[in-house]
Amino acid sequence: MTQRASLLQGTLDLLILKALSTGELHGLGVSRRIEQMTGGTFAVQPGSLFPALHRLEESGWLASEWEASENNRRAKYYKLTKAGKRQLGEATEQWNRVALAMTKALEA
Amino acid sequence: MAIRARVASLIRNLTRRQRIERDLDEELRATVEMLADEKVRAGFTPDAARCAALAELGGVESIKEQVRDVRAGAVLDTVGQDVRYAIRLLRRYPLFALTAALSLAVGIGANTAVFTIGKSLLRFSPVAVSDPDRLVDIGRSFDGLPIGFNPGSYPDYLDIRRRTTTLEHVYAHPLFPKDMRVESADGNEKVVGDVVTTNYFAALGAHAAIGRLFSPDESDAQGASPLAVLSHRYWVRSFNADPGIVGQTIRVNRYPVTVIGVTPEGFQGTTVVAVDMWVPMSMVTFVTGAAPAQLDARQGGWVVMGARLKPGASVQQAVADLAGIDRSLRQEYPGQQHPQPFRLLPATPMADKMPLAAAALLLLGAVASTVLVIACANVAGLLIARASGRGREMALRLAVGASRSRLIRQLLTETLLLFAIGAAGGIALARAMTTALMSVLPALPIPVHLSLTLDWRVVALTCSLACVAALLSGLAPALHASRADVSTVLKEEGQGASARLRMRSAFVVAQVALSLVLVFVGGLFTRALQVASSTDAGFDARGVDVASIDASSGVDGNAARLNVAREVLERVRSVPGVTSASMASMLPLANESMGIGLTLPGAVSAPGTSEEVAGNGNVVAPGYFSTLQIPIVVGRDFTDRDVAGAPLVAIVGEAAARRFWPSEDPIGKRLIVNGGSRPGAAIQVIGVVRDIRSRVLDFGTVPFVYLPLSQHDPANLTLLVRSGNGRSVASGVRAAIAGLRTSPQAISIQSLEDVVAVALTPQRVGAFVAGSLGLVGVLLAAIGIYGVTAYTVSRRTREIAIRCALGAHRGTVVRLVIRHALSLTAVGCVIGLVLGAIAGQVLSMLLVGISPLDPPTLVSAVLLCLFIALAGCVVPTMRAVRVAASDALRAE
Repeated sequence: MTQRASLLQGTLDLLILKALSTGELHGLGVSRRIEQMTGGTFAVQPGSLFPALHRLEESGWLASEWEASENNRRAKYYKLTKAGKRQLGEATEQWNRVALAMTKALEA
Repeated sequence: MAIRARVASLIRNLTRRQRIERDLDEELRATVEMLADEKVRAGFTPDAARCAALAELGGVESIKEQVRDVRAGAVLDTVGQDVRYAIRLLRRYPLFALTAALSLAVGIGANTAVFTIGKSLLRFSPVAVSDPDRLVDIGRSFDGLPIGFNPGSYPDYLDIRRRTTTLEHVYAHPLFPKDMRVESADGNEKVVGDVVTTNYFAALGAHAAIGRLFSPDESDAQGASPLAVLSHRYWVRSFNADPGIVGQTIRVNRYPVTVIGVTPEGFQGTTVVAVDMWVPMSMVTFVTGAAPAQLDARQGGWVVMGARLKPGASVQQAVADLAGIDRSLRQEYPGQQHPQPFRLLPATPMADKMPLAAAALLLLGAVASTVLVIACANVAGLLIARASGRGREMALRLAVGASRSRLIRQLLTETLLLFAIGAAGGIALARAMTTALMSVLPALPIPVHLSLTLDWRVVALTCSLACVAALLSGLAPALHASRADVSTVLKEEGQGASARLRMRSAFVVAQVALSLVLVFVGGLFTRALQVASSTDAGFDARGVDVASIDASSGVDGNAARLNVAREVLERVRSVPGVTSASMASMLPLANESMGIGLTLPGAVSAPGTSEEVAGNGNVVAPGYFSTLQIPIVVGRDFTDRDVAGAPLVAIVGEAAARRFWPSEDPIGKRLIVNGGSRPGAAIQVIGVVRDIRSRVLDFGTVPFVYLPLSQHDPANLTLLVRSGNGRSVASGVRAAIAGLRTSPQAISIQSLEDVVAVALTPQRVGAFVAGSLGLVGVLLAAIGIYGVTAYTVSRRTREIAIRCALGAHRGTVVRLVIRHALSLTAVGCVIGLVLGAIAGQVLSMLLVGISPLDPPTLVSAVLLCLFIALAGCVVPTMRAVRVAASDALRAE
């Protein structure tokens, strides 16, 4: 909860793609999954989450479908498209390069 | 592919907007419900869970707005929304929309019209003229004014042509095209002909539509090339566009000339006058009244020149080149050259011949810009007034999640829509205004051709003008409104309104000031026109006919010419109905000028030195002053005894008498006149006459000298005939002249009033347009002042109602409100007066005959503005005090 402001530009997209890599989720599910994946370090605000989901869908990396939720509510589920999977791979690779460089730089 | 996905979703977003909106709505609602489910599981009651879920989500509408913003085509989407919303608003407040759009239409229309007229007057119609930017006009400078030309002499033209190193294709033609008569099967047709040197068309780079144009190889020696070129318009009008006319002989003023070609359609030469025919300079003594001596005379002037800059040469280099030529000519011909130096300016079809037109155009541009500024001030004032009324709406929209930039965009869209309507109206209005102007023009004695079509450049200018104006007048209110502080505005309105009030007050003041300037300047021009067109130009043109006389045909020598002239005068004076007749080398107000330099004997009299006073003069026969009814103040008129051998005599104007002999009797004093045909000779003054306006731009301060015809043999002669009973004596005069043994020709008899009317045309057109623009400005100012004061009063309705309810006398309340509005108006008037005085000074050279601070104009302009402001606040105030207190309080 304390880290909400320091979500780097671009990391949110990567986190969403990663959250969806194990299967389809609705908006709230994506938010919860990111919290879980980062050990509660990142809590995504709905005001950032929904625009990001729609932006990724517009870019063709996500697809959405209306389905019944676990509580039998109708919810909009997002899943990765083929392009989305490719994008996740590329973005992960790039992130690793940046992270490695940053770590090196900070330890030097 | 990301792009393809993006395009696909753009199309989806635009085509299935409702479906997508519904999806978004449902998605968020589902999220809220799922959040609530989580809370219930954590032990919340269902109601508390729902509240907590909503709180965690934040504003639903705000999220929606953010999602919409990332969607492809979001900008298009919101613009469409803004436009729809703006249209709805404008329809809800039709009076506001109408007022604002009308103001803008008038402002934009006036500018478009002035720009259209300006373009046609100041720029060559590019039709068939190649590279017009390299063309220059050449003449002599005009009394030290920065614009305008005095004509030069024919030897000037020959000298410049021979000596210049920076110009090529130096050509010459008379200051004005001439009336000519072409003989046809059904009598004579009057046409407008220009006499040009044979290199004229080559200089312009023009080519014939049919046949050929004059070639520079053809001689300008008198009688050498009896040719003519027809304008396309004339060829279609009078020859049914028959190509067979080329090679035919027509008779122009009785002289046979061969038609060699027709100019391309739309070709207009270098003048704004619609020319029907061009004849070469070699015909000038045949088809106009010019004497052969005119071609050799260095004194006086009758031609304007033009040329094309040599490749690589600049205007500055050409000016320096001409100054050098001027210096050496003055050394070679001391006392014979025109006292004014050469002047060279980039060519225009108008400005050189009519400096007034250029100046008037500048003025019109300024006036039209002022009208537009007033219109913008109106709209900005209205927008600000309305924005303060919409503070609550803005705050509400901010509260439910609209961003400030979105609000500003929305307000600017509204403004732009207004301006789009205004621009459309403006273009329509400009068409109407130029049409109105065209309907004024045909009343002129000389046909004028202006291409007043609205082309794409004009429309583009109008649109960019509208956009800039919209941004200027829309941005301030938009920023203002979007700064609204949500909580305070929603809680209570009216707090912090003082800044807004100040801004609105500033608008009232500015509007009153600008309107006053406009009304004042418009009034000055109308007054100047009144004075200019009144008969009191110092002479009486009514009942006077004038005719160019060619006294030289068939006679040789000056003495013989003078005899012919005397004989003509004797015969004309005996024609029944003629009360007096005379001759002069120039007509007053006919745009002709004889520049002379004056010095007193004994002073260092080298021509061109500072001792020499630039003056103007005329060579006249006895009876000139009585024919034009110019009063002789002291002394006598010329008589037939002032002949060549007798002592040289002159009559001077009052300004000259004041200039040279301020406290002495000028009669019997001597004066040296350079630039006449007796340079250096001391001439005795025998009389002083009242000064007349000899040229449109006369201030009555230029020393004027009349010289007798018999001692000065001018190159050009015009007959002036006054008839007593208003009947035209033209036929009698023609018959009298035709009966003479030597048969001189009277060419084109016309009334002096027509000649004067031509001279005053620019002023008349200028006054017409300035007057109507001034009127428009008054209307706009009235709308603006009324709108702003009325709104201010309406904001005080509650206060007025409370005052009335508490027992305040209605009259007291009305006075209170009016005092505020009038104090603003008074401040505006004071500022306007200062600006008006400055404008008057700047324009003083155009305002012949009236003071630039003309009291009647000044007083009526101020009264008018005060009256409008009074009406603007009295009416709404009266309405306010009549409203029942309970109604007013409830309305708030």
